[in-house]
Amino acid sequence: MLEVKDLHVSVDGKKILKGLNLTINAGEVHAIMGPNGAGKSTLSNVIAGRDGYEITSGSITYKNDDLLEMSPEERAWAGVFLAFQYPVEIPGVNNTYLLKAGVNAKRKHQGLEELDAFDFMQTVKEKAKLVELDPSFLSRSVNEGFSGGEKKRNEIFQMAVLEPSLALLDETDSGLDIDALRIVAGGVNKLRSPDRAMVMITHYQRLLDYIEPDFVHVLADGMIQKTGDKSLALELEEHGYDWVKENK
Amino acid sequence: MSVIEQTRQDALNLFEKLGLPTLRDEDWKYTDASRLKDLLQPTPIDENIHIKDMGINGLDAYRMVFINGMFAEAESDLPEGVSILSLAELEKNSVGEDAKGIAKLFTVDTQAPLMNGFNAYNAAKASDGSVIILADNAILTKPLYILHISNQSNVVRHSFMIGQHAQAEIIEHFISAGDNKALSNSCSFVALKAEAHLEHSRIQQEGDKQSHVARVQVKQCKGSSYTFHGVELGAALSRTDLVVNLHGEGASCDLNGLFVLGGRQHADHHTRIDHKAPHCTSRELYRTVLDGRSHGVFNGKVMVHEGAVKTDSNMSNGNILLSKHAEIDTKPELEIYNDDVKCAHGATIGQLDDKQLFYLRSRGISAEAAQELLTFAFADEVLVAMSNQTVRSYVEKAAFAKLPHGDNLEEMLGS
Repeated sequence: MLEVKDLHVSVDGKKILKGLNLTINAGEVHAIMGPNGAGKSTLSNVIAGRDGYEITSGSITYKNDDLLEMSPEERAWAGVFLAFQYPVEIPGVNNTYLLKAGVNAKRKHQGLEELDAFDFMQTVKEKAKLVELDPSFLSRSVNEGFSGGEKKRNEIFQMAVLEPSLALLDETDSGLDIDALRIVAGGVNKLRSPDRAMVMITHYQRLLDYIEPDFVHVLADGMIQKTGDKSLALELEEHGYDWVKENK
Repeated sequence: MSVIEQTRQDALNLFEKLGLPTLRDEDWKYTDASRLKDLLQPTPIDENIHIKDMGINGLDAYRMVFINGMFAEAESDLPEGVSILSLAELEKNSVGEDAKGIAKLFTVDTQAPLMNGFNAYNAAKASDGSVIILADNAILTKPLYILHISNQSNVVRHSFMIGQHAQAEIIEHFISAGDNKALSNSCSFVALKAEAHLEHSRIQQEGDKQSHVARVQVKQCKGSSYTFHGVELGAALSRTDLVVNLHGEGASCDLNGLFVLGGRQHADHHTRIDHKAPHCTSRELYRTVLDGRSHGVFNGKVMVHEGAVKTDSNMSNGNILLSKHAEIDTKPELEIYNDDVKCAHGATIGQLDDKQLFYLRSRGISAEAAQELLTFAFADEVLVAMSNQTVRSYVEKAAFAKLPHGDNLEEMLGS
């Protein structure tokens, strides 16, 4: 589904990713772990299409298309979703409007008819239950006045409504207390499916207790240093990131 | 000469003494009034304007229509038992003590803040207007919709007097028939007795060759509340002076302003709030969305007088420039003459937020639609305070239509 090859990315002239390779297939759940400044968020932002990143070489292929040639909205229509580390507040834009506009833009792009307003609301209410999101949040402005945990829940709720093929979860666990983490992780687990891939970016092993990955990658110094199964995360927890660099 | 004629002659003399403001006047340095000189004279003719379906459709309201500044009774629909009268009728039919009372409606308060030549001219030359007297404890069951249609220069003068514990909603709407070059000169005087409440909207949507000069002057007694919505969408040049006197203890005002301008439109609001009594609250939110070579001016001054303890005042002005040729001049001002107050004021000028744009696009909303949506959301926050949903959605649609790709947006929101 996603093939990242020898990706080099700079921000303001500073090299962040230095030849990153990553292959992700449908149905797989990957965890990317690594120390601060390793380039984890850069990778997810580049995949989602955020401005301000200079791709100096390499390629990203998504479902046989050149992802880097696509605008952020085209990526969304093709099924790429980023759950933001810091979801932005958008006063005046209603949460449900946003999703309706997003879903219908995607459907229009796929040559499908727009969803009936009633059906859409039914779907939305159902998906809100998945992450135990209070229905009152649906009519509020996007993330405005939400607590940190509510924002993260809202991200997973949006993912549930938009039904992406490739979901990137950028530090979705940060800022969550243990109860909120359990709820969010529960929502994510329910969204696992054979035709959907997920990439979790995280500092901590803790999230992986709740969402079990098929692969764990260690990203440091702009490259994937080591790949393994979930036991790698436990080893990391025990030995720290320096151990990876020494035992490449 | 009758007492009314004398009062109006005094106003004319005052106008001749004052003349029109010039760019040298501090309060008019961004708005060139000199080009309105030749448009002052009202032409109160009934042009046989076909008014059917003009204005806000579907609004459940009492209705008062003015054509080129003259009350069109046949087009109006007024409630029984409430004094909603034509100023011209009153002027014509009043004698003795009544005439003295009517004369007062034409008196110019030269000491009032932001008083200018246009206001004196209005008192001297107003063709007509409304005089609304709501008795104590009366509640106007439906809003009063005052529709002004013009294709000639016109001068109207309204007085809204709301009794103790009385409540009303008044919507003034200004539109043009045709695209004549003309000037609307409008004054509205509001007096709120103790615990009275008025929600007052002014929607200026005149043709792009018209100009519009207005004064709204409000005096509030104890515990009264006043909500204002000023929307500037039309006219080549518009200027509004909004003057609120919080005169009685515990009075509150909520002033909302929205400009959506394009082309070479120019809109200027000068607002002045005087906190003269303890425990009064003022809140002011003005936003502008400026495209093309349009020019917005906002000057908001809050004056907290000696003795106005426990004043709570908040003023905020936000501006989005959609084009590099658009211009905003903003100046929030605060003058405080006692210690025991809570006051905040601020202004921002900017483009749309990149983070918000990316967030929307990452959810599948096109770049163009995301810009529209954010621009609209920014503007719409001012309209949240509007309690009349029919008026709000009318204004939203009119504002949509002025944005570069407003039709997409309307479709997207499905509203």
